[in-house]
Formats: sequence, C-alpha cells, structure tokens
Amino acid sequence: MFINWRLRELNLKIVYYGPALGGKTTNLQYIHSKTDPRIRSEMVSLKTRGDRTLYFDFLQLELGRVAGLKPRFNLYTVPGQTYYTSTRKLVLQGVDGIVFVADSQAHRLEENRESFWEMRRNLRELGYDPESMPLVLQCNKRDLPNILSVSTIHEHLGLNGVPCLESIAIRGVGVFETLKTIINLVVAKAQQQL
Amino acid sequence: MNQSVVLSEDIADQIHRVLSELRARTQAECVLLADISGQLVESLGSSEEIDPVLVAALAAGELAAIAELARQIGERRASGSLLHEGKNRSIYIASVSDTFVLVVIFSTASPVGLVRLFVRRAAELLHPLASQFEEAIRRSNATLGTDFGTALAGELDEAFGGM
Ligand SMILES: Nc1nc2c(ncn2[C@@H]2O[C@H](COP(=O)(O)OP(=O)(O)OP(=O)(O)O)[C@@H](O)[C@H]2O)c(=O)[nH]1
Ligand SMILES: [Mg+2]
Repeated sequence: MFINWRLRELNLKIVYYGPALGGKTTNLQYIHSKTDPRIRSEMVSLKTRGDRTLYFDFLQLELGRVAGLKPRFNLYTVPGQTYYTSTRKLVLQGVDGIVFVADSQAHRLEENRESFWEMRRNLRELGYDPESMPLVLQCNKRDLPNILSVSTIHEHLGLNGVPCLESIAIRGVGVFETLKTIINLVVAKAQQQL
Repeated sequence: MNQSVVLSEDIADQIHRVLSELRARTQAECVLLADISGQLVESLGSSEEIDPVLVAALAAGELAAIAELARQIGERRASGSLLHEGKNRSIYIASVSDTFVLVVIFSTASPVGLVRLFVRRAAELLHPLASQFEEAIRRSNATLGTDFGTALAGELDEAFGGM
C-alpha cells in the first residue's frame, strides 16, 4: 500500500490467487462488467489463445474521496496453471491482500491445497509473513454438483479464522462481497499498526 | 500533520520536478513513474489514448519478467531497461534502484539515444529518493485515521451496493 500525499491517493494491491480454472479471471470480468466505467480502468488480460491467463489480468477501481483520500484498488489475477509458477511470484510483488479462489469441486481439492502452499512459499520468499497477510478464502463454483463443504475446504487448507465466502463467479454471486471483505481486511490491518 | 506526511509530500514534489525535466528534454509524449509492484506514482502528459494506470501495471510486469529471464540465464543483475520501437510511438522502460519503474513514451521521430541519455540522468536524480520512498511506504500504513475504515466501508457499499 502506498499513499501519494501530493495527489491524496491511497493505492492498494489485491491479488486473486488459486488453482487453474478456479475462476479468478471470471471474478475480475464480473467486477469490470458491473462497475461504472467512470470508476474503473479498462481490464487488461495477458492470456493465451485459449483464454487462459498467461501473465496476469489487471483492473483498477477508484473510489471518490474517503476522509480526504482517494482509494485506488489495483486488482490482479495470477495464471493458475502449474507451469507458470515463477510468474505467480512476480505478480505477488507488493501485494497488500489476497483472495484465494478455491475450486469447490471434490476432485480439485488437492490442487487447491498445492496452490495454497505454493502461495505461502512465494510470500515467504518475497519477504512477507503469510500468517499476517490479509487473506480471504473464496469457495467458487457452488453451482456445480460434487462440491465439498466450505468447512472441509477451509480445514484442508489448514486455515483458522480466515473469512470464507461462497461464490458462483460466472453469475456474480459472492464476487463483490469477496472484494469488500478483502479491502476491509487490508485497511483494518493498516490501522492496527497505528 | 505528522512527519511522514510532510516527508512524502516532499518526495512527490521532487519526483514531479525530475519527470517534468525529463519530459521537456526528450519531448516525450508521456513520462510516468510507478513503483515496482506496478502502482502509478506520477504521470505527466497522458493523452486520450494512453491510460497511465495500465501502462504502469504492464511496464512493471515487463521489467519483472525480464529481470527473471536474466536470472534464468545466469545473469546476476539485469540491465533493467527495455525498449520497444514502434511505428509511430516507442516506449522505453527502465528500473530505478529496484524501487521505481520509469517509463517514457515518445514519438519515433525523437532519437532513441537522447531518450536513453536523459533517462539515465533522471534515474540518477531519482536514485536518492528511492530509499525515502520505501520508508514513506512503510509509514503510510500508520497514517490512516481511525475513522477511515468505517468511512471506506460505507463508500464501498455505495459503489458496489446492490450488485
Ligand atoms: N460452473 C461454474 N463455472 C465457473 C464459475 N466460475 C468460473 N467458471 C468457469 O471456469 C472456467 C475457468 O474460469 P477462469 O476465470 O478463466 O479461471 P482462472 O482461475 O482465471 O484460470 P487460469 O487463468 O488458468 O488460472 C471458465 O470456463 C469459467 O466460465 C462458477 O462459479 N461456476
Ligand atoms: Mg485466469
């Protein structure tokens, strides 16, 4: 996070992390499609021909002044395919908060877990403490059959007290709630350090 | 007002001066500075077609990728700059002290050598500001008022409410 006092802007970086095809890009697409063009940038997607994220997606939201500061939220997704591990670490640089998008389908449990542990390792390698990084778990694809309960996913990731939301990103269910939750966590953490 | 506020306002002013000078010398269409995570710090001379926010995010990603590529081929340090020569506009991206990303967008009519030269000079001027900037970032967390969170939550509900 950084505040540009000359321009009175507060910049936050939020990264959507998670296994391949979990729905990270879909979250950003929905946010982009539903927000007033006056408060958002274009969405940039560096992707393969098959619409899979190759490097990152990026979208910025900018709110009106809050207590004299103009908050700007820089939203990024990482490429989920295992292959792009070094790219994921690059995108985490300067992160203030993470939305972990888990795929709720039972057969994706192991991939969620692997992605989650890799994320923690990447954070540590970048010098962050994963324990104190603001984090929200989004259990996506709640519309599909053969999904696991949210508490099972939560437990399998070894989480304790991390906010957890259910979503159906293709229909926008839970997408804005997730975003609000992570933003509030990031700001609350900054204030704790007061 | 506490110390860190005054300090970072001062840094922002100094950055602004360096960028103005760079833009004037190179006759660049647009000059901008981002931090290494891709967040825009300052931009001068954006046009209708150029969104500095997107340029900042992409340029930082590009530099990060190049630095990693250099590391993969056994280079200890990446040179930290990139040039894309276009048909009408070119773009030059340089890292400054691993803290900033400096971007110059200029007409292909301008000589590249000149742009490189003035970017190098600007980088020298920005170099001493980098550590102050890092310090200001560390401290900006502590400068949010206690009522900020509540006010922001209200604003978020308004912006995203009913969605
Ligand atoms: N049924 C269902 N499908 C979803 C949901 N969210 C996303 N999808 C679909 O899942 C597929 C992958 O979504 P993406 O958003 O591209 O996934 P990603 O996490 O960005 O994938 P990578 O870029 O490869 O990491 C797409 O076909 C989406 O339409 C959901 O809630 N329910
Ligand atoms: Mg994607």
